[in-house]
Amino acid sequence: MTLLTFIGMIVIPLVSSPLVYLSGRLGTHETTLHRRSYLVRGLALLAILLAWIPFVLSVQIFLAGGIQEFNIEAIWLRVDGISLLAAAMVLTLGTLVILFSGPYMAGEVGEEKYYAMLLAMIGLMIGLACAGDLFNLWVWFEGMAISSYLLVAFYREQAASLEAGMKYLVQSAIGSVMVLMGVALVLANAGTLDLIQIREAMSGSEVNRLALLGAGALFVIGFGVKVAIVPLHTWLPDAHSQAPSGISAMLSGVVIEVGLIAMLRALSVLPGFSFSWGILFMAFGVLNILYGNLLALRQTVVKRMLAYSSLSHIGYILLGLGVALYSDMELGAQGAFFHLFNHMLMKGLAFLSVGALIYGLFLQNDSHASLKINDLAGTAQKYPMVALALSISVLALGGLPPLAGFMSKWQIFVAGFQTQNIWIIALMIFMALNSVLSLAYYAPLVNMMYRKTPSAQVLAGKSLSFAITLPLLMMMLVVIVLGFMPQLMDWITVPAAQTLMTMFGN
Amino acid sequence: MNFSALNIILIGIAGLLGVGFYGLLITRNLIKVVMMLQILIKAVVLALVFAGKVSGNLGLGQSTAATVIVADTIVAVVGLALAVQVRRRFGTLDVPQISTLKG
Amino acid sequence: MAGSLILLIIGIPWLGALLVWAIGDQNAKAQHTLAVIFSLLSGIASLILLAFVDSRPALNLTLAPAFGNLTFVPDGLAVTLTVIATVIGSLAVLFSVDYMRGEAQLGRYYFMVLFFIGAMAGLVLSGNLLFTFFFWEITALCSYGLISFYNDDPKAVAGGIKALIITQVGGVGLLAGTLIAYANLGSFQISDVLANAVAIPAGALSFMAFSFLIAAAAKSAQFPFHTWLPDAMEAPTPISALIHAATMVNAGIYLLARFYPAFESVPNWRTAVILVGVISALITAFMALTATDLKRALAYSTVSQLGYMVYAIGAGGVLASQFHLLSHAVFKALLFLTAGSVIHAVGTRDMRRMGGLSAKMPFARNVFIIGALALTGLPILNGFWSKELILEVGLEGSPLWAYILMLIGAGLTAFYTFRMTWLVFFGTQREELHVHETGMAMKISLALLSIGSFTTWLFFGGLNKLLSTTMPFHGIEEESTLEMVKAISFAPATWFALLAVILALTLFFTLGRKLALSESPGWLNTVTESSFGFESVNHFFVNMISKFAESLRITQTGELNWNILGIIGALFFVLAMLLWGGA
Repeated sequence: MTLLTFIGMIVIPLVSSPLVYLSGRLGTHETTLHRRSYLVRGLALLAILLAWIPFVLSVQIFLAGGIQEFNIEAIWLRVDGISLLAAAMVLTLGTLVILFSGPYMAGEVGEEKYYAMLLAMIGLMIGLACAGDLFNLWVWFEGMAISSYLLVAFYREQAASLEAGMKYLVQSAIGSVMVLMGVALVLANAGTLDLIQIREAMSGSEVNRLALLGAGALFVIGFGVKVAIVPLHTWLPDAHSQAPSGISAMLSGVVIEVGLIAMLRALSVLPGFSFSWGILFMAFGVLNILYGNLLALRQTVVKRMLAYSSLSHIGYILLGLGVALYSDMELGAQGAFFHLFNHMLMKGLAFLSVGALIYGLFLQNDSHASLKINDLAGTAQKYPMVALALSISVLALGGLPPLAGFMSKWQIFVAGFQTQNIWIIALMIFMALNSVLSLAYYAPLVNMMYRKTPSAQVLAGKSLSFAITLPLLMMMLVVIVLGFMPQLMDWITVPAAQTLMTMFGN
Repeated sequence: MNFSALNIILIGIAGLLGVGFYGLLITRNLIKVVMMLQILIKAVVLALVFAGKVSGNLGLGQSTAATVIVADTIVAVVGLALAVQVRRRFGTLDVPQISTLKG
Repeated sequence: MAGSLILLIIGIPWLGALLVWAIGDQNAKAQHTLAVIFSLLSGIASLILLAFVDSRPALNLTLAPAFGNLTFVPDGLAVTLTVIATVIGSLAVLFSVDYMRGEAQLGRYYFMVLFFIGAMAGLVLSGNLLFTFFFWEITALCSYGLISFYNDDPKAVAGGIKALIITQVGGVGLLAGTLIAYANLGSFQISDVLANAVAIPAGALSFMAFSFLIAAAAKSAQFPFHTWLPDAMEAPTPISALIHAATMVNAGIYLLARFYPAFESVPNWRTAVILVGVISALITAFMALTATDLKRALAYSTVSQLGYMVYAIGAGGVLASQFHLLSHAVFKALLFLTAGSVIHAVGTRDMRRMGGLSAKMPFARNVFIIGALALTGLPILNGFWSKELILEVGLEGSPLWAYILMLIGAGLTAFYTFRMTWLVFFGTQREELHVHETGMAMKISLALLSIGSFTTWLFFGGLNKLLSTTMPFHGIEEESTLEMVKAISFAPATWFALLAVILALTLFFTLGRKLALSESPGWLNTVTESSFGFESVNHFFVNMISKFAESLRITQTGELNWNILGIIGALFFVLAMLLWGGA
């Protein structure tokens, strides 16, 4: 049945995950590591490309107005605007990362586990976006979290990697526990966990406000650990900088964002509070923006700087959502979702460019050193494409036209100013000033790369393969095109924004 | 279900949560951290069943609790596996000593 | 027709930018040639556009609601500035052929120059405030990229980032003002804002007016944002001429001129504008007086002259400010490019090491003197007519103290200009430097600009016609060139100004030459070198933010227990917030 096609985009990655793992373990000692690697890479790429087919079909059905649902007893999976946005993001970045990781992870110990976990994570994230009830949401969320623990701690020979993975696991597990407590509270009060039915069950006047506030707080903090809201963000700089570059891109680009979507789904069932969620989001948004920017200023390791900058971009998104929820302004949600998508592109491009440099400078020379700002000197001499990619991603993140980041931030600004609320306008100006401040740490990277005298590391660097530069090229083009024609993404951000407003509407 | 039994379960949940969080704040040993997480999860399992009973949908409460047990066992396994690797690389399971990434 | 011309004016340089970059640095000759051709084509297109000036939009594309309609309006103000940007742009590119010969990374250089030229044209032609902002930011990006072109020089990089940050902060002002207008009027169209300014509530209009003033002041390096322009002199000299004298810094003036009808009735706004102009003009005149770096002196002079333009707008003389903008663009570009050829030939920017170059670089000396005379405001040259017009407008439309201060400024201008010329070309050569005469491509650009310095004032009538007929909201009266000449020649303001200049020159020729011109009194030096204290303000901000950021690093303890405390603490905090607010 055509209405079930969306299941395909969840099932294909999930099913191919163990298959890829097995294929990597196939063969005797005579089968070279080399050949096995190609088999694993190829299968993984094939799997993710196959998953695009049900996605495209789903989009067509959705835009034509078809409802797509699937249930086993009381467990529901539903597709709406937000699900498609998340699926689009996950599939886009997932495909590019799998392609990129080909040469990057070649020959690593446990390479097949990497691809297996990555595919599993992709499938689980898409499943999360389609979840139709609260517990289902948690299960997909937990699955995504578990696969990401293993990916963060992938380099188990590196002590720092393990440390990052361990801290990430513990903090994320605490978050999950809190979410479950919230689920329990909701269950106790509503008797059901279905996202649509909870609203009806709780519309009566005997609703226990205290319990629901508690559930709300637990959801915000519980999911908030994953979304990296300050002060729950402490795992992020370590995890994003220690993970393999493809995973850093996935983490910053989609995992955090999908966590945010989970939070939105969970909060939407609690009636009558969209006002306070709006204020809470705006408050955390401010905190994230400022904290992320200030700390990024002082970093010398490039990946750590990009990780902190993710904090501030989540802040921008939270501000946009906060404005939308507080003032019932759909444009704010549209801007926030557009920024969600753009951030995936820009931050993904940034991390993959850095990854390309790490590959060329360090991995090819059998080193696992981290890329420092000074190592970037003169990169453009040897790796012009990568230098251009990193420059474009970083300037886009800083909100400069004619790149994508400017357009999404603009939409959030318009929404904020349209509320005509003086505090929100002040927040928008604060956000704009912070955007300017972020240039103070982004711009020096560009300057460093276009120096004429390369650093010692650059001189010793090896060449990059096509599979590494192709994703960079593609993402660069999209970032530039979206900067000139932002309306190209309207087909996905507008339905998502509409879904959000209906979810939270009274 | 009479009044006092309900109360006992609530106190139990609160107690387990308290012990778990307190432990997480205080402990210096990585294995103990994983243990504290498990205690928290037991509290949550209890809470889910309790919630199911109280709202009349016991079936849902029990099934979610069962799923949580499975899921969090996996988390515990991964956590312990990581702890083993940490012991190998760092030579210690002392939390402050494995905190090298700062700032 | 106008629509296609506009697309060509913006599109050709942008296309050229991509082509030059794509060709690659190995084909330097091709890069030079292409750059010149594309910028020339754009200049020709904008000259043709003069014939199609109209107050109605030439292009109108509907975009998504949050972005408004993309419109381009070729009215007098826009087309004048477009012509200036593209024509001087092509001259600067032509000059670059000699100046940047043998430099590395030419693709990046020409990309940013051409990208800039297109964006500047787009900025002034845009009828939609969002796109004005869009192009505004692009010019800031190109400016940053070109100032820090020599990435290996930390001063250049610092200068670029400083310029970027300061102008971007100003950009926030433009953003805020635009969105306030949008929130109140529902439109991004500039014509709508000008027509319906009264519909905006007084508080919001005031906010918008002052936000735009901040944006303009930051972009045009006016007080209190004047510290970035001198540091921007690390850029290659053709860029200093193009971006930091003739075009980008005029964007602020453009903004004020464009929105003058909407803001003139906002209380205290005109006074604020006059103040900004007067203070900028004066303090930078003093800074130019003590400067030892040739380009920095010219940079200070630019800010000073921009101050005159700002002052003119505050006094109600939009036409006067644009007239001076035209003159200044020509003679300042001339001065910068000549300075560039001197610096290129001699190898240093320090005026104390120059001197007596008159014999070895006669062509440069001649054109520099022409530019200097125009800057000083001596009769016949374009600078004279436009500066006098400003002073005349100022006498009528601004408080007397402001007029007197500007008069003093005119005197100062004369003094520092002659000082500069003297130090570089006359007197005894202080150091043995290898000197070569200016290259051919450079000579062409300089010659054309010199001719301009003698003749652009003749276009006053044309300029007046353009502005008065196509700008319905500005209420500019019609006046032909002859009428203007008569008015200026007989205006009392002119005589006062000439008096001030003559006084200053007398001072220069008698006392000045006796004092060691290259050594300024210590007390004056301390004041001017710190930009009247504003460098310390900059340092203060930068240090404060850095220290604050550094102190925050302690929160990232790296210890699991602290992290968990953060989570639990946040939970209680959120609960408290919700209970307090929701229950």
